[in-house]
Amino acid sequence: ILDDPDLKDIDPTVLKHCHAAAATCILEAGKQKADISAISTCLEDCKLDKERIEQFCTEYQKNKDALEILLGSIGRSPLHITDVSWRLEYQIKNNQLHKTYQPSYLVTLNVENSDSRSHPDVSFSCTMEQLQDLVGKLKDAAKSLERATQM
Amino acid sequence: MLLVLSAEHRAHLGCLPRAGGAAIGELGRLALEQLRRGAAPRACETAARKLNIGVDTIQHGVEGLVYLLTESSKLMASIPFCKISEVDFQDSIHVLGFSDELNKSLLQLYLDNRKEIRSILGELAPRLPSYHSLEWRLDVQLASRSLRQQIKPAVTMKLHLNQSEDQTAQVLQTDPATLLHLIQQLEQALGEMKMNHCRRIVRNMK
Repeated sequence: ILDDPDLKDIDPTVLKHCHAAAATCILEAGKQKADISAISTCLEDCKLDKERIEQFCTEYQKNKDALEILLGSIGRSPLHITDVSWRLEYQIKNNQLHKTYQPSYLVTLNVENSDSRSHPDVSFSCTMEQLQDLVGKLKDAAKSLERATQM
Repeated sequence: MLLVLSAEHRAHLGCLPRAGGAAIGELGRLALEQLRRGAAPRACETAARKLNIGVDTIQHGVEGLVYLLTESSKLMASIPFCKISEVDFQDSIHVLGFSDELNKSLLQLYLDNRKEIRSILGELAPRLPSYHSLEWRLDVQLASRSLRQQIKPAVTMKLHLNQSEDQTAQVLQTDPATLLHLIQQLEQALGEMKMNHCRRIVRNMK
């Protein structure tokens, strides 16, 4: 804002205060999911005139959804799985044992940290039966999700 | 496929004919114990005293047997009762010039324990962490410090993995859409084994 040509004439300190105040107001309104009337009342108490209140509220409405998404994404959570890759291989021999002849799956789960820092992916190997067990459990989770949404 | 025995190896096994029938059984037992649990010098000393043979000779004999058994198990077909692999083993030890009886006892030792030795060797192979189990839980986030009045469903999971004797548990989370994507991808993976391509390779590689 300090570089904005329209605001050149105003004292920078005042500008900073205004910006901070407006930001705080918007964040509080977003956090509490306040509706328009609550915001208007609040601004009236701050002695803003009707026109300014209306302008503020219109702008707020336009960006409310984006604001909610942003606020909702702040916070800590366990590593979040974003994707999965898999590889099917057939083992023929290794240096300890020849003629092993075993299929196995290598599954890699791409994970993300809550603060978007990258984290090494979780990889593991499993047999077909183990993969079936894993998929069965994931399907149970999905089914219970579906039931929960129908409640 | 023949087993190639080095001169040193043959010298180690050379003590077997002199040791006698009972000794073979004893040495065989020691060799298997060594494979299962590692070298046991005290057991070798006891055997040496019992059979009236030098400790070093016993040790070498046991080591020779261990090598013979592991190499044979490693290279031979994993199909039991495969006549060809028995012939291979017999031919391999024939070069040592032992008596028929000794050859038969060695062959019996090999056949009786081949499966167990292969499973022990199988555990030495390099391994990635392997899947053990998965626990899951359905959560709904209702509020946080930055935003009140939310409804955010998530599935929290605890993935148990085995990494060479240790069990690790990792807590992971995912949202419903990603969960469905995971299920779809992994089901595709499972389906691959049943495709013709994989079936053909498995059939032809035996």
